[in-house]
Amino acid sequence: MPARLREYATELAWPVGISLAMLGMWELAVRELGIRSIILPPPSEIAEAIIARHDLLLTHLWPSLYLTVLGFALSVVGGVLVAVLITYSTIVRKGFYPVIIVSQVIPKISIAPLFIVWFGTGTMSGLLLAFLVAFFPMTINAAMGFQAVDEDIHRMARTFMGTRWQIFWKIRMPNALPYIFAGMKISITLAIIGVIVSEFVASQEGIGYLIKLAGGLLDTPLMMAAITVLSISGLALYGMIAALEGRAVYWQSPNDIGGAAGG
Amino acid sequence: MRAAALSEASLGPAARTTDDQPSSVLRIKAVRKLYRDLEAIRNVSFDVADGEFLSLLGPSGCGKSTLLMMVAGLIDSTEGEIAVNGKAVAGPRREVGVVFQQPVLLPWRKVLDNVLFPIELLKLPRSQYEKRAMDLLAMAKIEDFAHHLPRQLSGGMRQRVSICRALIHDPRILLMDEPFSALDALTRDEMGVELLRIWQANRKTVIFVTHSIREAVLLSDRVLVMGRRPSTIVEELAIDLPRPRHIGMTEDESFNRFVRTLRKAIEASHAS
Repeated sequence: MPARLREYATELAWPVGISLAMLGMWELAVRELGIRSIILPPPSEIAEAIIARHDLLLTHLWPSLYLTVLGFALSVVGGVLVAVLITYSTIVRKGFYPVIIVSQVIPKISIAPLFIVWFGTGTMSGLLLAFLVAFFPMTINAAMGFQAVDEDIHRMARTFMGTRWQIFWKIRMPNALPYIFAGMKISITLAIIGVIVSEFVASQEGIGYLIKLAGGLLDTPLMMAAITVLSISGLALYGMIAALEGRAVYWQSPNDIGGAAGG
Repeated sequence: MRAAALSEASLGPAARTTDDQPSSVLRIKAVRKLYRDLEAIRNVSFDVADGEFLSLLGPSGCGKSTLLMMVAGLIDSTEGEIAVNGKAVAGPRREVGVVFQQPVLLPWRKVLDNVLFPIELLKLPRSQYEKRAMDLLAMAKIEDFAHHLPRQLSGGMRQRVSICRALIHDPRILLMDEPFSALDALTRDEMGVELLRIWQANRKTVIFVTHSIREAVLLSDRVLVMGRRPSTIVEELAIDLPRPRHIGMTEDESFNRFVRTLRKAIEASHAS
């Protein structure tokens, strides 16, 4: 275990080191060149803003995170269910699956104002937009996973008289898990975007609303503080899924995780 | 009973085919397989005795695997009759265990759980078969890996696991579809001898598909040679080499005589 920890540590050392160096250069450049903080505040000032106004930031962070997680969870459940339909229903597979794939091309964010018209400026619009953008990669990945069962494995299960039900739970489901997690990692980042965009368009709360508000007040340090807090939250959510994946998909070595279906 | 079947098996095919049951575990009669207009298999008939090790030998794509899959109940025959224990095969059945060309292990299951997979599918009580699974793994000399994942095993070891899996529910017939063709030559010889050891301990009826003449002679009681499409049986040869067999026998003149006979039969079927 310590050897593994050391391995992680050395692997983290490079990106962390480079990030810190870039932050240092940023700080130095802003100070030396005398750039006004309304244009580009130095990292220290952003950190100060986060500490000084953490109450305000948290007040607006919670509703955004809440909608993100809820929209994401709905997209996972909905995506897996639709993927099951795609796998087992010829009509859904031949009729809807191509439509779902083609509809990927639509920039779903552009529907945000329409959702406001339909569902108002409340939480419903944000939730639905998060769900909508997160749903498609989830569905496509899960459907791929359910269907990517090796023909030989299928034949093997049939020689032992496996039923459809058994084949689903004992073969298709575990086979789809790596794909589902790959889909979840894409979906969680998209869900955040969905919520933030919805808050940009029309909302009285949320971190997206705060970013827009701070922009209007030309309070750049607050704006960047909000962006930073949002990024850290997104990273944490992604990290939680990745950690869960490591446990759930224990049979894949760390090197081939994500190799299953990146998009 | 068992001893009687065995001594009969060593008499060769002539003695057996005239005899009508009950020693015949598998009966294939006038089987034909069409894929649309393409005739893959034409008029194949043979019986397999209880405890016999039979090889189907032929070039790639000659339909020997198709025939095996029909016996497994995975493919329907177009015409003719396939009966296991006197009952016509309509689908996969319990008395049959199959070993495929690839090990086809489930990567998320430990070795022991892979071996017990058929028990789960057949809804048999797992606890009663755990000891048998360990015994089989011990016989295949991989009991130390029972709690490892398949990816931690070599190709030869994985195929051993798949043989254990095919035997776990104690089937009467073991169908093997070129099980060692994905392995390197050395491992392959070794696996063949191992298989004989396991077979001798379990006394299953084995139908073994291969395109290796050497392998067929080394393992079998009897070899059926299948020709090219439309495939049919062009030669039948009883291999009366003594058992237990070992790799050293491949040097013997008697062994090579069988190899030459079979090679000639295959070449003749190509020429026609």
